[in-house]
Amino acid sequence: MKIYDMISICFRNLWRRKGRTMLTVIGVVIGSCAVIVMISLGLGMSQAMDNMLASWGDLTSVTIYGGSRGGMFDEGSSSSKTTEKPRLDDSALEIFKAMEDVEDIVPKMELSSEMVVTTSGRNDRYLLSYTTIVGIDFTQFDKLGYEAEQGILPDENNKKDSIVFGLEVPYSFTDTKKHGEAAYARKTELPDGTVTPPFIDPIADDFKIAIVNTKKTNEDGSHPVGGKGYEYTLHGTSVLKQDTMWETPYSMFIDIELAKDIMEAYNKLNNVKNAKAPEYTQVKLLCKDINSVDAVQKAVTDLGYNATSMAQVRQQMQGELGVIQLVLGGLAAISLLVAAISITNTMIMSIYERTKEIGIMKVLGCYIGNIRLMFLMEAGMIGLLGGIIGTVISYGISIIMNSFAGSAFSEALGIYTEGDAGQVSIIPLWLVLLALVFSTIIGLISGYYPANRAVKISALEAIRNE
Amino acid sequence: MAFITVKNLRKVYKLGKEKVYALKQIDLEIKRGEICCILGTSGSGKSTLLNMLAGLEKPTRGDIFINGVNIAQLSESKLARFRQENTGFIFQSYNLIGQFNALENVGMPLMFKGYPKAKRDKLAAKMLKLVGLGKRLRHRPNQMSGGQQQRVGIARAFVAKPKVVFADEPTGNLDTKTTDEVMRLMVRMCRKYNITLIIVTHDLEIAAYADRIVHIIDGEITSIEENTSIYSPEEDEENTSISEVKST
Ligand SMILES: Nc1ncnc2c1ncn2[C@@H]1O[C@H](COP(=O)(O)OP(=O)(O)OP(=O)(O)O)[C@@H](O)[C@H]1O
Ligand SMILES: [Mg+2]
Repeated sequence: MKIYDMISICFRNLWRRKGRTMLTVIGVVIGSCAVIVMISLGLGMSQAMDNMLASWGDLTSVTIYGGSRGGMFDEGSSSSKTTEKPRLDDSALEIFKAMEDVEDIVPKMELSSEMVVTTSGRNDRYLLSYTTIVGIDFTQFDKLGYEAEQGILPDENNKKDSIVFGLEVPYSFTDTKKHGEAAYARKTELPDGTVTPPFIDPIADDFKIAIVNTKKTNEDGSHPVGGKGYEYTLHGTSVLKQDTMWETPYSMFIDIELAKDIMEAYNKLNNVKNAKAPEYTQVKLLCKDINSVDAVQKAVTDLGYNATSMAQVRQQMQGELGVIQLVLGGLAAISLLVAAISITNTMIMSIYERTKEIGIMKVLGCYIGNIRLMFLMEAGMIGLLGGIIGTVISYGISIIMNSFAGSAFSEALGIYTEGDAGQVSIIPLWLVLLALVFSTIIGLISGYYPANRAVKISALEAIRNE
Repeated sequence: MAFITVKNLRKVYKLGKEKVYALKQIDLEIKRGEICCILGTSGSGKSTLLNMLAGLEKPTRGDIFINGVNIAQLSESKLARFRQENTGFIFQSYNLIGQFNALENVGMPLMFKGYPKAKRDKLAAKMLKLVGLGKRLRHRPNQMSGGQQQRVGIARAFVAKPKVVFADEPTGNLDTKTTDEVMRLMVRMCRKYNITLIIVTHDLEIAAYADRIVHIIDGEITSIEENTSIYSPEEDEENTSISEVKST
């Protein structure tokens, strides 16, 4: 028997009982709609999650924290062994650099606020307070994702004597000649839209960083600065834009080589015995791609370092999301199961009606395989039709949800995304194909038992049946 | 060896503890191209014998050779192939498919053989013309009279040029005049294509068309009678194609 003939008979039989066929198809439509919409919501959620993580930081990097500082998502287990932790110094960087999947290294070195005093203006009139000084490689602004709001970022040529300010730092300079409120610069917006300027000009003035001498003590308990040879005069170049991770606004940046020099000078001035090479506070390893992150992170933690990565956080969140998706999918699957039962029911009824027809076909020499195939096709076709209509309707539902529910929906699901509200429901092509294949398979499975029943009908009984 | 050889055949139905001997002991030989009538009263086992010859039922005991193949031993799927290649079937109650028109009904055996639609329709149309339904190709069974339906059934049985056609009371639902037409038609077809016809009936009139009449009583062959006054289609050569006027 030609496959074409079987298909044609299959369609004729479906058409013969239009009403019943449609009702069964509607069952599949509801089931497949439920599954597609649920999965599309799951996909929407995981995309929203990825967007959110991307706004937090780069997914292809591993961050290593030095000293006793733990990472943002530190598990605690590794930081309990701080005593054994290896030093995060230049020799460590050499090891990281040699790692296969590491493309680049972005180190940071924070200077403790007690180590230096930063001033500006004549007679050190303006004093910087409450500000972290961070050494970064001034050739790596792009890798750090830092951009200038004012001024021009320093480069290879002027990095040694340049300063870059975080957005709020210029206002942290106080006027030592004044007292009370007047000593502080306030950032307030003026009626004409501009803001009040700080005491210093962050992109034109010179600034002095002086190392503190802890061996001597002033009357008020503070320590004097070291004086000649322990001072650095730097030029203000630029102010950074607010960054998404809120790393920069309250930090002042100098080149990392200078930071190391300051560390060493401090140790010398204060006679620190057996001073070791300066340690980095944080080193970010940029990996080749997202798949190599795991391996790099493992290699680093195996060395005893504290390392975290967004990829790891993502994995954890994905795991939790997976559970939600599974629950949603399970609920949807129930409606598909109901649809499957209704297909089986329809097929059994249809075979009951056509017992005689099947008997005649057998007597006339139709292969039982062909009979089975005809009924399987019918059931599969009901599934496929339901899948097609279900997909079209799901697209509609998806569009409606995306345009109306938008941000409200993602907030309800506890996902916050930066700026773009994102799509609540995403239906990629693979989901469409999967839905079609799946609903067809559901049809075939539902038709399996009825088809076998049809095959078992005794030809003689069937034609005797008047 | 004869075209059909039945040896030592027995069929017993078990109804609970009771045994019904539908066929007690049957031995029979039928030649190629022969028209053989199985004649007997109701309940004598005619249909049972025919169904077993057609491979629709398994005998309790014994062998049935058709063209050298013991069909009593064939598996279900081999039987399907055997039926497809060798047999045609005509039923008392026509057994046409209601949703198919005459052309499609007649084309069914060819469809199972895998003929493409165009070829099928051509052969089926030719066959329907031969049985005098050339103008009713697109009619559904419920748009035709009993006689017309049975002629569609005959066309269907012969369309694939089988080696043997089985007919179980093919005229049981028809009036005398139509019975005559239908019988002549069947005989003519068999003669034309050298097809063996085995026809079951309790009607002596019908038996008159056969070459041989097998009398069966209570599941046993009592006598086999050679028919001398055979109807020969050559007699009404002029009348070969039953006209449309007659059939309506
Ligand atoms: N499936 C069955 N189960 C039990 N007994 C059966 C079955 N089929 C037939 N019989 C019995 O076998 C015997 C022969 O039946 P069969 O149908 O062959 O008769 P028949 O000669 O064709 O009669 P009729 O002319 O009425 O059709 C009957 O007694 C019948 O009751
Ligand atoms: Mg009978």
